[in-house]
Amino acid sequence: MPNLRKTAALLAFAAATIGLSMEASAQATLAQIKARGALNCQVGPSTAGFYSLGADGSWSGMDVDICRGLAAAIFDDPKKVQYQSVTSAVRFTALANGESDVLSRTTTWTAVRDTQLGLEFAGVNFYDGQGFMVPKASNIKSAKELNGATVCVLTGTTTELNLADYFRANNMTFKPVTNENINVLVETYLSGGCDAYTNDKSSLASRRSSLAKPDEHILLPETISKEPLGPVVRHGDANWGDIVRWTLFGMIEAEELGVTSANVAEMAKSANPNIRRLLGVEGNIGEGMGLPKDFMARVLKHVGNYGESYERNVGVKTPVNIPRDGSLNALWTKGGILYPMPFR
Amino acid sequence: MANTSSSMAASSGLPPAEIFKPKPARAAPASTLGIQGWIRQNMFSSIPSAVVTLLGLWIVYAFLDAILTWAVGNAVWEASNRRECLDQVGRSGACWPGVVAWIPNLIYGLYPKDQVWRINLAALVLLVWAVPLWLPRVRSKVQIGLSLVLLFPLLASYLFLGGEKGAIWSALIALGLAAFLWALLTTATEMTTGLSFTRFVVGALGATGRSEEASRRIGFAALLLVYAVALVAVHAMALSLVQTRLWGGLFLTTVISGIGIAFSLPAGIVLALARRSRMPLISLLATAFIELFRSVPLITILFMFNTMLPLFLPVGVEVNQLLRAIVAVCLFAAAYMAEVVRGGLQAIPRGQYEAASAMGLGFWQATGLVIMPQALKIMIPTIVGNFIGLFKDTTLVSIIGLFDLLSMARAVGEDTRWLGLFLEPFFFVTMIYFIACFGMSQYSLNLEQRLSAGERR
Repeated sequence: MPNLRKTAALLAFAAATIGLSMEASAQATLAQIKARGALNCQVGPSTAGFYSLGADGSWSGMDVDICRGLAAAIFDDPKKVQYQSVTSAVRFTALANGESDVLSRTTTWTAVRDTQLGLEFAGVNFYDGQGFMVPKASNIKSAKELNGATVCVLTGTTTELNLADYFRANNMTFKPVTNENINVLVETYLSGGCDAYTNDKSSLASRRSSLAKPDEHILLPETISKEPLGPVVRHGDANWGDIVRWTLFGMIEAEELGVTSANVAEMAKSANPNIRRLLGVEGNIGEGMGLPKDFMARVLKHVGNYGESYERNVGVKTPVNIPRDGSLNALWTKGGILYPMPFR
Repeated sequence: MANTSSSMAASSGLPPAEIFKPKPARAAPASTLGIQGWIRQNMFSSIPSAVVTLLGLWIVYAFLDAILTWAVGNAVWEASNRRECLDQVGRSGACWPGVVAWIPNLIYGLYPKDQVWRINLAALVLLVWAVPLWLPRVRSKVQIGLSLVLLFPLLASYLFLGGEKGAIWSALIALGLAAFLWALLTTATEMTTGLSFTRFVVGALGATGRSEEASRRIGFAALLLVYAVALVAVHAMALSLVQTRLWGGLFLTTVISGIGIAFSLPAGIVLALARRSRMPLISLLATAFIELFRSVPLITILFMFNTMLPLFLPVGVEVNQLLRAIVAVCLFAAAYMAEVVRGGLQAIPRGQYEAASAMGLGFWQATGLVIMPQALKIMIPTIVGNFIGLFKDTTLVSIIGLFDLLSMARAVGEDTRWLGLFLEPFFFVTMIYFIACFGMSQYSLNLEQRLSAGERR
């Protein structure tokens, strides 16, 4: 398998490079989407809370809400999305070769990806960071005590690289136990196959809450990386990038202004100029991007604001259970760093 | 001999010699009789044998006990989410409600649940079409088998996909349906009267006495009539479009591997013959194709077809992702099958070729009637081994984003209600794979024994 993966990664890179040279011909993504009648949105193999299949066969999650929001903005119908699910190793190629319009699947914004793969990050919908989970019985209290440990780590993502960097920076060694599938890794960890399990802290929290005895495992305090996750588009179609970016900003802005899916119709009558601009009652922000004036009203009506999406998919009332209060993902007005650019 | 000696004795006038009468055999010692005896002889014949037997039994017991305790004894059958399961039994028992809730997805993928009957209908048609192959009185087995392999996909493609159908596609679907009707009618007439369908029609019209040419025409007209009926039926059918990205689960696995298997055998035969051809260009091309596809892993071929191909297509042209995967699997499987068939061809002694040409058979006749049947028979274990391998290899399509059975099983544990439920769906899927693959291998064993009946003493 490692060889296969290497081959796949190599090909992905080659394809991405070719994608760079092809992008000139791939203009006007919005026109293509309208002609097709549906948005091609790339997610990954199910990941709880962010993009997961339900038993009824429908997709849901934080990242899926971005796709639904875009479909609502373009078509006034959140169902006009064709979901593609591709493994981490192949995701950039599938975006670069034009098979998907937007990649919305817990992808970390890094310099190399932004500048060398022909991609463009449209924003951040979740601030994450990598951490470790260990059994409480191991008496490990800090990641610094993990020297020589075996560590379960997802492969094909930045998680693997961060882990190596962290141990190198701290002059420690480790033995990786890798797999592409979180469930396999957690199972390995639970059966004692590795001393620690590393992943983004949001994922650690949700996995911990799904264990038989959550109390027997602790998250170590260190956060060893910054993982700003957000939707990605192809380089070269700035207008499409704007649409994705401002749909995301709009959802955060709506939360800040108190506009929800329930009160969006009422709020359109509000005297607050910020709300009026957001909902397209005043000005024509949407038209500048090739969307109707009230595109954000559509998004909010069908999908809701950022906070609604958060609580519905990963909030404390869901099994995923990632507390938002006091985390980076709170609004800037509430101690977090979610700061939408002004909608004017 | 007895006769001649007695007649000789009689003719020479001597009194007959005392005839030897064997005593009845003594009963076998009680210790070797029945189950008890068999056990004593085979399992406890010596101390090492007894030790190995006991050890083996203990391993089987420990293994089964652990599995059954987990899967049945401690299992939870009713819960609305995984937390409830965990609260009841923790990790000591399986949590089946999650799997049960997901069974429709595991089997049919994201196929609209109100359209699932189309898949079931296609499966039923396949089954009914295949039944005559096992009925002893049916003689047109080869024709029915060929029609099944070649024309069932035409019918199934419409049942699965649906949507708008142009004139050509309609004609092809009708061909599939007509072939199915023909197979049914032929089976019916051959079971009842022993006559093939066309002969039966000729007989029923009282035209048996007429010339060969006339009866052939009547038979042909009957077939045309069947086709016309099929055409009308197809025209009346209107199924909604179900895009291939909604296909998944066991259904998708079966479609991909089924087409791969059905395609690979004939294509492999052609490639193997081409590779052994005396025409250098054909042989070279076949060799190049086979070696190219055998020298890279299936996953890279899938990857090439899936992600590289669109790069070379004009913007806006989208070749269906499933189609690309199927083509990749077919080409890969054909290359492997070609080498299997070549192995079989090389195992046929020269004498068979010589005997065939001494009979005055040309290349195609000799190959089709003498060489190939023997070659394929020899290679049955390897051919079926390849089929089984292909059935399992199709899980690789998960890497290009198709939700086959295995990816569906993985998705269960990411459903927020069943978060982390992982062993149970995999156990379930393991059972499905086991049944399918074990079934195939047992059938091949059975086929092998039947076909080599002449070699047994």
